[in-house]
Amino acid sequence: MSRPAPIAPPPEATGLAATAPAASFGGAMVYDPETKSAGAFEPQLLRRLWSYVRPYRRHVVLSLALLIGTQGAGLLQFFLLRHAIDVHLVPAELQGFMWVLAALLAVSLVEYAGRRRQVWLLDLAGQNALLDLRRDLFRHLQRLSSTFYDRTPIGKLVGRVTSDIEALQEMFSSGVVTILGDFVLIVALVFFLLVLDAELALVSFVIIPCLLVATTWTRKHVRKAYQIMTSRRSRMNAFLHEHVTGMALVQAFGREAAAQDQYGAINREMRDAQVDAVTWESLLSAVTDMLSAFTTALILWYGGRLIVGDVTSGAPPELTLGTLFLFVFWMQRFFQPLTDLSHKYTVMQSAMTAAERIFKLMDVRDFVPERVDARAPSEARGALQFDGVEFAYAGGDKVLHGVSFAVRPGEKVAVVGATGSGKSTLLKLLTRLYDVQGGAIRLDGQDVRDYPVAELRRRVGVVLQDVFLFEGTVLDNLRLGHPEIPDDVAIAAANRLGLDRIVARFARGYHEPVAERGKNFSSGERQLISFARALAVAPPVLVLDEATSNVDTETEELLQSALKELIRGRTALIIAHRLSTIRDCDRILVLAGGRLVEQGRHDQLLALGGRYRELYDREYRKQAATAEG
Amino acid sequence: MGTIALRLVIPWLFGDAMDDLRGLESADSGDGKSSAAARAGRLVAINAAIIAGSALVGAVLRTASRLHILGTSRRVVHDLREDLFAKLTRLAPSYFLRTNTGQIMSRAVNDMNNVQGLTGPVFMYIAETALLFAIGLGVMLTIDPAVTLWAVAPFPFFIWRARSLAKVIQEGSRAAQDSLGTVSDKVAESLAGQLVIKTLGLEGPDFERFAVHAAEYRRLNLEVTTARARLMPLMSWLAALAIMLALVAAAPRIHAGTLTPGEFVSLIFYLQMLAAPVATLGFVISSLERGEAALVRIFEVVHAQEGLPERPEHLRPDSMQGELEVRNLSVWREPAPTADGAPAPAPRRVLCDVSFKVPAGTTLGIVGHTGSGKSTLVAVLARQLEVDEGRVFVDGRDITHLSPIWLRRHIGLVPQDPFLFSATLSENVALGVCDATPERIQTAVKIARLDVDLPQLPAGLDTVVGERGVNLSGGQRQRAALARAVLLEPKILILDDTLSAVDRHTCDAILSALEPVMAGRTTLVVAHRISTVAHCDQVLLLEEGRVVERGTHRQLLAHGGRYAQLFEAQAREPDRIEPADETDSADRVTAPSGQEATP
Repeated sequence: MSRPAPIAPPPEATGLAATAPAASFGGAMVYDPETKSAGAFEPQLLRRLWSYVRPYRRHVVLSLALLIGTQGAGLLQFFLLRHAIDVHLVPAELQGFMWVLAALLAVSLVEYAGRRRQVWLLDLAGQNALLDLRRDLFRHLQRLSSTFYDRTPIGKLVGRVTSDIEALQEMFSSGVVTILGDFVLIVALVFFLLVLDAELALVSFVIIPCLLVATTWTRKHVRKAYQIMTSRRSRMNAFLHEHVTGMALVQAFGREAAAQDQYGAINREMRDAQVDAVTWESLLSAVTDMLSAFTTALILWYGGRLIVGDVTSGAPPELTLGTLFLFVFWMQRFFQPLTDLSHKYTVMQSAMTAAERIFKLMDVRDFVPERVDARAPSEARGALQFDGVEFAYAGGDKVLHGVSFAVRPGEKVAVVGATGSGKSTLLKLLTRLYDVQGGAIRLDGQDVRDYPVAELRRRVGVVLQDVFLFEGTVLDNLRLGHPEIPDDVAIAAANRLGLDRIVARFARGYHEPVAERGKNFSSGERQLISFARALAVAPPVLVLDEATSNVDTETEELLQSALKELIRGRTALIIAHRLSTIRDCDRILVLAGGRLVEQGRHDQLLALGGRYRELYDREYRKQAATAEG
Repeated sequence: MGTIALRLVIPWLFGDAMDDLRGLESADSGDGKSSAAARAGRLVAINAAIIAGSALVGAVLRTASRLHILGTSRRVVHDLREDLFAKLTRLAPSYFLRTNTGQIMSRAVNDMNNVQGLTGPVFMYIAETALLFAIGLGVMLTIDPAVTLWAVAPFPFFIWRARSLAKVIQEGSRAAQDSLGTVSDKVAESLAGQLVIKTLGLEGPDFERFAVHAAEYRRLNLEVTTARARLMPLMSWLAALAIMLALVAAAPRIHAGTLTPGEFVSLIFYLQMLAAPVATLGFVISSLERGEAALVRIFEVVHAQEGLPERPEHLRPDSMQGELEVRNLSVWREPAPTADGAPAPAPRRVLCDVSFKVPAGTTLGIVGHTGSGKSTLVAVLARQLEVDEGRVFVDGRDITHLSPIWLRRHIGLVPQDPFLFSATLSENVALGVCDATPERIQTAVKIARLDVDLPQLPAGLDTVVGERGVNLSGGQRQRAALARAVLLEPKILILDDTLSAVDRHTCDAILSALEPVMAGRTTLVVAHRISTVAHCDQVLLLEEGRVVERGTHRQLLAHGGRYAQLFEAQAREPDRIEPADETDSADRVTAPSGQEATP
């Protein structure tokens, strides 16, 4: 597990869109987000789901018990009513009637309290389990390697954490447990109805197969109609969003009418899909109601015949009016779970599909491999050595061909070259975002792959072009990821870089909250914050990807002096874009096509008249002239 | 109406049949009994048949009425959506600057859904429930007024309670939905920034941020659940309570013989029927309130002031020469509404008494710092923002007298952060010209130096770009927008810091390729770097909305004022030596119509 296998280019990799699966470090799991599954109820899947529910199993079990209890209480109410009708109302006998009333009140209160608790407990268990799952999944995603992200679209992964877990949520609130409860209810009802009057019970059940067939069939159409509607709605929303964002453009190019036509077509499709969904839904509820009424009529007709038959034959009536009443109401109770059955099955099915996708992602073990016996050398001097480094991104051509160089402790080295020459790859290999595929990178004499990853990233400080600011105060952002740094150290570091002048404009100084994505700072100021962040940690080696963005002149000067301060006394490897930075370095490495073609000082390289000279002439001789003149 | 009546017939028939059967049991034994039994049996069978028949007819009628009402509501909302969108296309650009996309989307999606609820299901349920209650109560009262009144006594309280719980559920669900959106955004952000997070070792704090959002989502969901757990059993308890009250009231009356058990069973049926829609009624009342509020918000948009509408008296000259004159122009900007509802500060003057003249076919450079008013000036000239004070002339005609559509047709504005629709690249380039031939598109693409990037794209010019397509770099998007403007062959071309994300080498190549194209056209070049405008016939320096210096590059340098200082300072700045196509998008001005980011 400690060395990555060379990654074979996937067959359908096509330049930009190389999202095809590639072999991972373990060699066993390949994550293919597109996998479709029928949502089978696999025992292994259920076991893994259960491992998340397990901590809350008492909630679930209690909820199930309550569910069965409340179903019983619901049935008992009608049973008591039957008693009231047969014993008290029909013979007009009021002896003991109060007791029946009291029992009815008690039972209905029990049902109320029980159901309230049951729904709440079940959802609590579900929400807790899914929060745990969500957190685990996020942590898992954080650990996955950069190679994994290179070939997996982010949208799919976001869907795992949000909509797939939602599907599981749905299963909790209307899935397994309630299906189990419904099942118990149905069995109990069938049993009691048969005991009460077997003949009438069998007749009452006649409609049920029709009901099952009719609801399953209509629901299928309802579901399909809703699917179409959902996809059309998201299309409509996407269109709207895009056109609201780009409305100035629509107007500037006189496209109002065309846009309205396009929207009109989408809108019409949406309306048709909605009308379709409404049609099927109305049909479903009408059919269910109708069949329920048919059952009532059937019970009345057949029950009536039984009673009449008993009376005519002079036999003591087996079937009472109260029982007839009970049959009608109990059969109505029977209908609800049956009509919901196909819906619940669908919910379960999509939950299983979601669970399968989630756990498949959890099974991807594409982590940055760390040796079990990884240990860092005690002394951190900051000596770097690149030794015949080779690298290719998954499915791509080699971007580094045997690059070798060494950096002495405290030396400042600039790396220059055109886009695609492999400069930023060097940075990614040094911090082990990726691992070399040939050769080795050594820090203080030890291969970076033999360091504990966290320790390596502590010793190699990185300043990137992209500055990542979190919500929180400026101070929080200065010691981000290193809560152990005391306030005064962080602030002293920031002051050394002149950040005090910038925060002076805020009433709360370093305690000023950072707005979303750092909107209250200019890009230059954000750069400065990231410099200060690196300085507070004081790593022996600093790797810096110099920003190319335009900043105004004052900030530019501030940044330049801050950079000098930041790299003072440490080893620095700078992917440089600015001439002054390059000239200030002890040595310049010139990369071209993944090879180290020249190295030396600015004037040496200029005199050499090679690749560096070419770069210099093409890109910034003009500026150099104005700067000197 | 018929539907409701048919539904209500069933309990009555059932009770009637029960009484027939009960009468049978209590009848004297003897000869009459068998004939009575036969008669009762027949009556019961007839009642059962009527129940079945009315159920069938009821189902048909009900489906028909629902289809009609709900179908109509969908059609009404369809029309409303269409009107809203048409209105959006006519609103002033300033409206889109003031109102963020999320707010407009919320009107067009959430509020529209609420209105749809109002016109459809809500209306239907109210109609159905009102009829059910009216007829049901009427029938019940004729059976036994006292028992009925007792039994329905708790209904008002329950309806009130259902309404308040439904409100919590609906509002809570909406909040939970928003919260899920936040969770989703957070995940997307973290995954997109995973390289940065890993290199800087920020996994811990990043996870904490995620955990906070996820926990908040759980909390909101549980809030909804609490209300739901209360509402659902409440309704079956209402039925039980009503039946119990009916029992208490009915017992002495049955004993006295004034109420038959069959009638009583009918009453129980009715009570069940009336109790069932109470929960829905709660939702309906709550939706009614929401629907009303939503309608108000939608009409706010529909009645918002349209920007620069076309008027019949507007002039539409046959051609444009491209001469531009600005006289004492001032523009105020309303500050964006603050989220916490604090009193909005007074409008800020972003352009102040600006005057200049650009002869047809010449070039004008406009330089200035971020926030100096460059982009506002450009937006006014492109007829995106209203002229507040002063006058602007094109070919000697006041632009407020000219047709905005005609003006836009002849002015090509290339913004700094151009917007691409989710369509193919060639469709994006041909946005303003419906009948562009492939050859013309090719030429425009070549001038904008976009052709060198085509081999990198999966399908060349037919590659789908934009939000749902391939993500182009900032420089590529800028060049696509330039190609778009070139294809339009405008008389006045405005480059609003257009090539900021394009490397110098390509930039020079584009500018020289543009030269023949722009011969005879007026060109405005906006930049914050002086080197970009040095070759212009005339240069303006804007500071805080005022023209502080004006002249040719040489004149201004010789003058030794602010322009010369700025030039000195920029010359000292080391320039970048390589393509900056990957420039972080955070430092680009994001408003598509050129709003300046205020520092």
